[in-house]
Amino acid sequence: MLTALLVMSGIALVLGAVLGFSAIKFRVEGNPLVDKIDAILPQIQCGQCGYPGCRPYAEAIAAGEADINRCPPGGEEGIRKLADLLGVEFKPFGGGTVQKPKAVAFIDENLCIGCTLCTQACPVDAIAGAAKQMHTIIAPVCTGCELCVAPCPVNCISMVVIEEKITTWKWKYPVYPLAPVK
Amino acid sequence: MNDKINIEVVYALPHEQILLQLQIPQHTTVAEAIKLSGVMEKYPEIDLDKNKFGIYGKLTRADAVLRDKDRIEVYRPLLADPKEVRRKRAEEGKAMKKGGGEAAA
Repeated sequence: MLTALLVMSGIALVLGAVLGFSAIKFRVEGNPLVDKIDAILPQIQCGQCGYPGCRPYAEAIAAGEADINRCPPGGEEGIRKLADLLGVEFKPFGGGTVQKPKAVAFIDENLCIGCTLCTQACPVDAIAGAAKQMHTIIAPVCTGCELCVAPCPVNCISMVVIEEKITTWKWKYPVYPLAPVK
Repeated sequence: MNDKINIEVVYALPHEQILLQLQIPQHTTVAEAIKLSGVMEKYPEIDLDKNKFGIYGKLTRADAVLRDKDRIEVYRPLLADPKEVRRKRAEEGKAMKKGGGEAAA
């Protein structure tokens, strides 16, 4: 009994020491620039930039493989922030991406057949619906990533632009950036 | 250990969705939680015998026990008949492709 206990705890101690040592010795340093870029991206994971998510896009920008103007959900403000961070010039949208007004998905209830394909595609669980039940977008949670539009077999999902109302109005980024003081 | 769990109750209409967050005791069932949340007072059309409900997109029974961070969704029935919609689209000559919307010609 005692021998077994000693052997087991001995093994645990040795393995723990090995793991602890290798965690310090073989530590992989993450690229801090990637983290900074990733923090600016909207984390919608929509893939409109051509990369599978925000993090891969951030890595591509950091590696110099991707341009900074491929993120429609981030808007021009996002491009400006990226340009500031990386010390490059602001550039308008390009490479197949365009500036879009903020929109959320909307399901045409007369067409929805309850197939759940859109709920599976939604990265933020913004669609309430189960098999053969009405699917509904929970608008306050929807990020407008458009990932649910393509999977719908009956084309019942459309993007509805969020109207500017008192409750949805946001302070605009200045159109003419202030001249930097030399 | 904390004997309360946090859950959400969702009832979604096309232009108005309510998302209630509440703390309930452990071992509460779906039906009890829906009653506790007060959605039924706000939307009297909800009928626990007629409306189906589920947790995160999976249909569940009324006596299913909830776990922490579950989201109960109260569903509404479909308006369209899936068979009819499919037949109509087939007549219009539009192919249906799973996960592809309009199929490539």
